[in-house]
Amino acid sequence: MLSVQGLCKRFGGVTAANEVSLQVAPGEILAVIGPNGAGKSTLLNLLSGLLRPDEGRIEFLGQEITHAPPEVRTWKGLGRAFQIVQPFPEMSVWENLLVGALYGKPSTPRKVAERVVAEVIELTGLAPKAQTPAGELTLLEDKRLELARALCTQPRLLLLDEVMAGLRPSEALEAVALVRRIRDSGVTVLFIEHLMPVVRALADRVVVMDYGRVIAEGPYDAVAANPKVREAYLGRAQ
Amino acid sequence: MILVGLLLLVALVLPGLPLGEWRAFLLDTAQFAFLISALALAWDLLARTGQLSLAHGAFFGLGAYAAALAAPALGTLPALLVGGVVAGASSLFLGLATLRLHGMYFAIATLAFSEVMRTLVLKAPFTGGAIGLPVQPAFGGAFPLGGYYLAVGVLALAAGISLLLSRSRLHYAMAATRQGEAVARVLGVPVIRVKLLAFMISAFLAGLAGGVYAMKTLFLSPYDAFGLGRAVEALVIPIFGGLYTTTGPLLGGLIIVSLETWLRLRIGEGYLVVYGVILVLTILFLPRGLVSLFHRKGAGHA
Repeated sequence: MLSVQGLCKRFGGVTAANEVSLQVAPGEILAVIGPNGAGKSTLLNLLSGLLRPDEGRIEFLGQEITHAPPEVRTWKGLGRAFQIVQPFPEMSVWENLLVGALYGKPSTPRKVAERVVAEVIELTGLAPKAQTPAGELTLLEDKRLELARALCTQPRLLLLDEVMAGLRPSEALEAVALVRRIRDSGVTVLFIEHLMPVVRALADRVVVMDYGRVIAEGPYDAVAANPKVREAYLGRAQ
Repeated sequence: MILVGLLLLVALVLPGLPLGEWRAFLLDTAQFAFLISALALAWDLLARTGQLSLAHGAFFGLGAYAAALAAPALGTLPALLVGGVVAGASSLFLGLATLRLHGMYFAIATLAFSEVMRTLVLKAPFTGGAIGLPVQPAFGGAFPLGGYYLAVGVLALAAGISLLLSRSRLHYAMAATRQGEAVARVLGVPVIRVKLLAFMISAFLAGLAGGVYAMKTLFLSPYDAFGLGRAVEALVIPIFGGLYTTTGPLLGGLIIVSLETWLRLRIGEGYLVVYGVILVLTILFLPRGLVSLFHRKGAGHA
């Protein structure tokens, strides 16, 4: 579904993404983990088009999108939810979702878009808050809105950037169930996460990054036992 | 919406009312107020995409000069259209170069554009330069109220487009662009296109208003037509009246121009001080503008 080859991004002297290659298969949930500064968010920004890579190639559904602008990627079915939730504060929850539904696919009729919003708002449990201004939501509701808005663009592949960060364990559990439901509705998921219990519960496969490189890849248990991964997280044993 | 219709209706019937000895003065002030309100409405359309323009005085001036120069050959209405198109086309070029800039940087670029335009008009061989340019009245003076009704027409057009846009799907694209550009793009909003479109519509309307203004004052000079004062007025009025609304810039324009004219009559030289104080007080106590008096809760849907 998504194929990334040799992606590089440098900021001055810092190489935030160094020869990153990975594949995402249709229907899977892939987790990207790694210590702070490993280049996970840079990778997501490269995938969603907010950053342009210096080298490498990105293919999505068989088409090259390496230099496509963000909105074009969204139209092709590449959705994205942000780590720092950024609702449109002067709009209601419903209107926030409507933006995604109206513009996520070019020339979506208003009627169709409103149907999409109605479905997504049920799925994400935001229906009671439909008319609330987005600036007045709690953190959990904010996170749900972020996710819901990305879903409204009707993605085939959804990129989630630490959507559980800052949630209480019980809330994180709810969010895990929500991501499962999204996958079961036919959306492939690539997510970045710090909370290991969440990764273990959700991911079919895990990619580990450190200093901009992919250092390990595989099922959770195998990756967690990998000495290179332990070293990246815990530091080298003296 | 109702208020907008009502104001336009009053504008239509105003010349028929028994206005007494002040009639000519009142109609003249009203015509000017309509044009400035149309300019403010135009400015607000671009502001809805989050771009603060200081070029709207220049679009107004460009429209004025273009219409004035085209009128002898083409007649009044086509000349006005030329004014709008010239302003719209110049905004396309300015926009392609600058719409990737944000906030302050965009504002500075538009300010520079205004200065360039003023210098160009000052130096060009066909504009009359610093001496100025005499302009024919609308329809060659055949209808005494022609200019007045042209101003009403431009105002109605600006208000109509403003209302239409706030009810269309483009409303969501513009508001999303303003409230979070990166997020809007990731949600599929073609941000650059949305901004360019808003800029062109906005400049076109400003140019139209400028053309009617030229046929009203009958004389243009680069210092008047491209003065920074009008660019400032174009942004002060929507802020005073209520940003991202139709009622706000419309009502704000009528009130501010009337106030300005009345103060100038009353206290002459010092009127700008009083005018400034009133503006500061309004912005301090009504940060969402006059429209917030009508409905306390709504966030920009008047």
